[in-house]
Amino acid sequence: MLKSCLRGLKFYFYMVGVSIKTQLQYRYAFVMNILGWAMTYAGTAITMWVMLYSFQTIRGWMFWELLFLFGLSVLSWSICIIFFFHFRNMDEYIVEGTFDRFLVRPIHPFLHVVALKFDVGAFGQLLFSIVALIIAYAQLGLNWQLSQWLIFLGAVIGGTLIQGGMLVLISGVAFWTTRSERLFWTLMWPAKNLMNYPLTIFPRVIQLLVTFVLPFAFVNFLPALLLLDKTKESFAPYWGFFTLPVGVIFFALCFKFWTIGLNHYKSAGS
Amino acid sequence: MSIIEVKHLYKEFKIPKRQEGMSGALRSLFHRQYLTKPAVNDISFSIDCGEIVGYIGPNGAGKSTTIKMLTGILVPSSGYIRVNGLIPYKERQRNARQIGVVFGQRSQLWWDLPTIESFELLKQVFQIPAERYRQNMARFRKILELDEFLHTPVRQLSLGQRMRADIAAALLHDPKIIFLDEPTIGLDVVAKERMRSFIREINRERGVTVILTTHDMSDIEKLCQRMILIDKGQVMYDGELAKIKETFGKTRILIVDLEEEIVDFSLDGVEVVKQEGNRRWLKFNRDTITASQLISRISENYNVRDISIQDPEIEVLIRNIYENNLPSEQAFTNKAKP
Repeated sequence: MLKSCLRGLKFYFYMVGVSIKTQLQYRYAFVMNILGWAMTYAGTAITMWVMLYSFQTIRGWMFWELLFLFGLSVLSWSICIIFFFHFRNMDEYIVEGTFDRFLVRPIHPFLHVVALKFDVGAFGQLLFSIVALIIAYAQLGLNWQLSQWLIFLGAVIGGTLIQGGMLVLISGVAFWTTRSERLFWTLMWPAKNLMNYPLTIFPRVIQLLVTFVLPFAFVNFLPALLLLDKTKESFAPYWGFFTLPVGVIFFALCFKFWTIGLNHYKSAGS
Repeated sequence: MSIIEVKHLYKEFKIPKRQEGMSGALRSLFHRQYLTKPAVNDISFSIDCGEIVGYIGPNGAGKSTTIKMLTGILVPSSGYIRVNGLIPYKERQRNARQIGVVFGQRSQLWWDLPTIESFELLKQVFQIPAERYRQNMARFRKILELDEFLHTPVRQLSLGQRMRADIAAALLHDPKIIFLDEPTIGLDVVAKERMRSFIREINRERGVTVILTTHDMSDIEKLCQRMILIDKGQVMYDGELAKIKETFGKTRILIVDLEEEIVDFSLDGVEVVKQEGNRRWLKFNRDTITASQLISRISENYNVRDISIQDPEIEVLIRNIYENNLPSEQAFTNKAKP
């Protein structure tokens, strides 16, 4: 067991090296990818600033708090992208037969898919989110104790697992339908972007949905309540403690779904 | 000793039924109807250690589906399947260690990596002992002439080179069984011949069991002692290649060159299938008349300049089997042992 884990890790790191090398071969695309994403997110932040310039607050959230909320979401998302973003391409792997060859090797096909790409383009987002969080932290005059830093860490790891789980879920659907990329852009991407704003501005149905069904609320909104000490919301602040366990459980469920899908795998063509 | 055993194997696919017209398209949005199509319909066979078996049939006959079930890629709908004692879809990773797979249409190698790096990676994935890896590589480099493209990325290889790299990759971990899905597709005559002699060699030297699917009948004639012929998901024939000629090749063509122009050339029990000048192609059945009887009858009546007999071509035979849809039971006596 331990030995096969070690072998899996060794394989993973080797593949990571290969993936980075491959991405660096196309230098222009590589740089543009990083710059492009950083600019896109900066654009969204500026839109927020313009909006808040005229409205002052949204449901009791001022600009720097919003920036913190946004930065937290982008931080875990960018880590998620590094490891899992290519899961949305599952349909392509199935149709092109790439997935077939994973099944005739003595390594778990899930690890094989994870190892397929290590998305260095995500460093653009990562950079943006760290800068945004530092500015927000300074502007809000926060001064966290160790316990708060732990909550923050839990939110980042848990958030990564929640969003990664969602990508795994979507890729699992492809085992039945051979469609996943479209599902990502029509379902997950818009839903994810809602979370750039305080959850309380949305109807109750959406609030319940993203808390109990697809737990996006745990990615940034609920931990932010706790970390920014916002106690006058309709959610009790202690929800924010649970991001990490929710992430672990959600990811495990999504992984289970994926392995069930694997048994329904139909392969493609001849 | 049988290394592969398949009994009553069945695999069906559900295909969404398309409905006609705009209203049909709308209806199928909400209520989709499915057709269940059996791709593999009750197939049984067993393959012995060290055999080279040709698994053939027309497009869509269920060849690839069977191979995918044997390699663990697909889960069968029902039936019994053992590959060297393992159930492939349940023990996928263990099964992977004892088999090698080459899909002629798709490479198993890493597209962006130099060929040698793919091999190194496989060494790690399959945990091939360093010494074994070195020996195998040395051997494959020589027979398959890998050196000329070892440092070229796989995506830049020619089809023939890629196929050679692929087969080396599939054999690197010393599998007991190797599945070749159209290993000669798209290759030129020289490359085909090279591929065949390599397959023969590893079979003879290492006792690797080979299962290959192909559309090229000369692959079968040159490599396989036995062939399993399938159509519409069922076994049509399972046995020696020579026997199929005996069983189905009852008709022969006798080509006769006559000395003079004869307008009403005819003989009992013989059909003139073609004529060109003084040359006649005569079809006869070995069961009703032997070749020597026929020849003596012809030379009694006509002045013959030359005579030759044409064997039925294997491709023609197989086409006959498909077209007449012969069920396997009544046509053959030489089915594989149960």
